[in-house]
Amino acid sequence: MPDRSASSDPGLLLLISLSGGPKHGHAMLLDVASFAGVRLGPGTLYGALTRLEEDGLVEPLPLDGRRRPYRLTDAGLTALRGRLTGLNAAVSIGLARVGNR
Amino acid sequence: MRLILRLYPSAWRRRYGEELSDLLDEMPSTPATTLDLLRGAATLHMRALLDRVAPRLLAAGGPPMPTHPLQRHPTAWALVAVLLAAPTAIFVTLSVLAYQLELPGMQAWLEPFMDGLQQAPRIVDFFLLAAPFLAFLLAVLPLIGLRLERVDGELQITFALRARTLNVIVLALCVVVGGFLASHLLAEFLLERP
Repeated sequence: MPDRSASSDPGLLLLISLSGGPKHGHAMLLDVASFAGVRLGPGTLYGALTRLEEDGLVEPLPLDGRRRPYRLTDAGLTALRGRLTGLNAAVSIGLARVGNR
Repeated sequence: MRLILRLYPSAWRRRYGEELSDLLDEMPSTPATTLDLLRGAATLHMRALLDRVAPRLLAAGGPPMPTHPLQRHPTAWALVAVLLAAPTAIFVTLSVLAYQLELPGMQAWLEPFMDGLQQAPRIVDFFLLAAPFLAFLLAVLPLIGLRLERVDGELQITFALRARTLNVIVLALCVVVGGFLASHLLAEFLLERP
């Protein structure tokens, strides 16, 4: 069965990717593919990036050649920490329950 | 695939278009990529639409939202209703004078007109019959108010009626003319039944 849980939240994947340092669009796609095994499309990437920037969770950096890198803001880091903590609690409980069967 | 970028909202393209275009240069063109771009464009248009509409619908304490433009010019719409119902009103008035009250000479004067009407296309009959009802709607809709507002966190719809002299007069005229015509047609229908 394909794992669709991660690909259903590209915003979270991008925040995780940018938590490792500023990246431009193509680098984010490669990074997400490497750590989550999810191939985001360009439309999905920029749709999520638009929303994250509107929400103040990421911000653009000056152009690097033709590419524009993005980085996580302080608010983005706080939001990501909150999401991951929540997920971590759910994962821990889920793993414990699965392990008991 | 660059053509698909034209489907994105123009304001969005000004901000992100060049970046996305550069990214596409680095990616293979596949049906999945094309579909993803199309879906992205549709999502952004939908989001822009919601951003425009939602604040108007949900603004707390904002100005009342008229639900239709007829409310803004009740007198103008009443005058349009008068013009629409006028042919039927004249026709009914002359018919009453000639055939109900039997004024001397009136029937002979009206006979050529009635003959012409019988030979006229059915659409003329239909117009004379439908006009009072359409005029009624045009006169009454500006008197009906619907307001959508958020009160104490709840969405409320308020229904209100207002009285405008001219509109009420036109309504009465439409009811009299339309009612007379409808009752006349109903009587004819019943009398012609075997």
